[in-house]
Amino acid sequence: MKLGSIRYLTKEGVRNIWANRLMSLASIGVLVACMVIMGLAVLISENVNVAIGNLEEQNVVMVYMKDYNWALYGREEAEDTASSTEGDTTSATESGTANTTDDTNGTNVESTPTDEAEKVDENGIKDSDYIIHDEKEAKALCAEIDKLDNVASVVYVSSEEGLESIKESMLEGQEEYFTFLDDENPMSCAAKVTMKDMAKFDETIKQIKKLSGVERIVSQGDLANTINAIKQGVGVAGFWIIAILMIISLVIVSNTIRVTMYNRKLEISIMKAVGATDAFVRIPFIVEGMIIGLISAVISEVLLYFCYRVATETIIGTLGTTDIVKYSDMALILFVLFAGIGILAGVLGSAIMIGKYLKREGSEFAAI
Amino acid sequence: MENVQQFTAVKPIIEFRGVSKTYLTGTHALEDVNIKINNGEFVFVVGSSGAGKNTFMKLIMREEKANTGKIVVNGFDLTNMKRKDVPMLRRTMGIVFQDFRLIPNMTVFDNVAFAMHVVGADGRDIRKEVSKALAKVGLGHKARALPNQLSGGEQQRVGLARALVNSPDLIIADEPTGNVDPNMSYEIVSLLTEINKRGTTILMVTHDHNLVRDFHHRVIMLDSGKIIADNVGGDI
Repeated sequence: MKLGSIRYLTKEGVRNIWANRLMSLASIGVLVACMVIMGLAVLISENVNVAIGNLEEQNVVMVYMKDYNWALYGREEAEDTASSTEGDTTSATESGTANTTDDTNGTNVESTPTDEAEKVDENGIKDSDYIIHDEKEAKALCAEIDKLDNVASVVYVSSEEGLESIKESMLEGQEEYFTFLDDENPMSCAAKVTMKDMAKFDETIKQIKKLSGVERIVSQGDLANTINAIKQGVGVAGFWIIAILMIISLVIVSNTIRVTMYNRKLEISIMKAVGATDAFVRIPFIVEGMIIGLISAVISEVLLYFCYRVATETIIGTLGTTDIVKYSDMALILFVLFAGIGILAGVLGSAIMIGKYLKREGSEFAAI
Repeated sequence: MENVQQFTAVKPIIEFRGVSKTYLTGTHALEDVNIKINNGEFVFVVGSSGAGKNTFMKLIMREEKANTGKIVVNGFDLTNMKRKDVPMLRRTMGIVFQDFRLIPNMTVFDNVAFAMHVVGADGRDIRKEVSKALAKVGLGHKARALPNQLSGGEQQRVGLARALVNSPDLIIADEPTGNVDPNMSYEIVSLLTEINKRGTTILMVTHDHNLVRDFHHRVIMLDSGKIIADNVGGDI
């Protein structure tokens, strides 16, 4: 097709919009409404993701290690529990808190073969009673955890830092509870682990458990599941909102083109009679659909900007939170989404309608 | 029918061989039609309503396909013609409609230019050829007028200019005098005769027997889907 023809057909497309301005305006109005709702769905989804991201960062997993303190305090505690429960064959590490996950490593102090020549210290602990002997070995285990795919970060926490952290988390006056320790520190050293994707939480926990030297893992499994559920819910809702509104957009543009087409039956019949190809007949309608889509995209972008600004100012004013996605970060993505949907709806809507008309209804000779 | 034989030495522009057309409704529109129209002829097609004139024209334009037989128009074999090739066939012919079919919000000039835009002509050619076509039909001075500012006869002359502007070999006129007064009818057929003298084949459907008698062109008469007369010289 020649450049002159393309220019002429584009002009015709623009002329169509003006000739059917009321219908075009109605289509633009409905498309804008659809696009603004779509944009809001995207922005809400993005904000929920940011909030979940913050929660994920806070959802720290503590991996306690089998170090000297564990051999000294944890093992004794486990032995006490075991002896007080007849017939109970659970391992020493399974006697943790409600939030403590099981140790499946199989390293049982009682079952560890002892070396007769091995020295026993003043507390009755042998070297073979524990796996992590010093900070170097603890950091090596941290490095091993860090190598796992879903691990975002690992921070080594010494037993002193661990105790300090617990004391700090206590309310004023509750420090007294620790006086019974008499300067002893029963905390094992630990690794503070954060994960990249909470959906792989259980799988990652299993991988960590398999590492040698891991005693127990303290986590908030319920929180991880809740986060996953929210994430999935927002994702699914967002998808359906966008899909349904896209179909509505397509129907709206198709109807506008249909009206334009019937208004231009005369022109189409003359075009066909004098030898216009189907493409020549189609192009002005496609241009019309595309322009309606693009105009709607621009209006939606501007409108959404103001709506979002008002909404965020209100949220910041009432909740005081500043963890809100900036519109400028999303502006380009939203415009591409709007323009893409607008153009797609325009092109598809007009192509379907005009194709149907040309094949089944268009007559070149019969009276109109 | 013997009159047809004398044109066989000249190359036919339209040829029907054993053509029949039955619509899905069961209507037999044409039955075993055999006809040749040669290059440069002026032919009137007459017949009462339902005789098959419309179907005859639609088959020539390839708006309808024959059920049986072979049709050749302007060198195009329409029997197995693909849909995408139909525009090429139509570019070799000009159509004049009974109801003028002018686009009301376009000027006379733009209505004629429209037919050239469709075939992808460039702007300079369009300006030149449209002016020439309007001058031929005597409407050069009305180029900027809108169709509703013209009389019926003038509107039909604009339709004629549109049919002429791409210099077709064949003009199909579907009752071009049906919506104009008798004086204007003579003017339009005179104009078509002038165009025919320059070598363009004219195929004109009409109900006006006076015109057929007065202009002495070949007459094809249809009745119930069959050709019942084919006379050169305007005798019905």
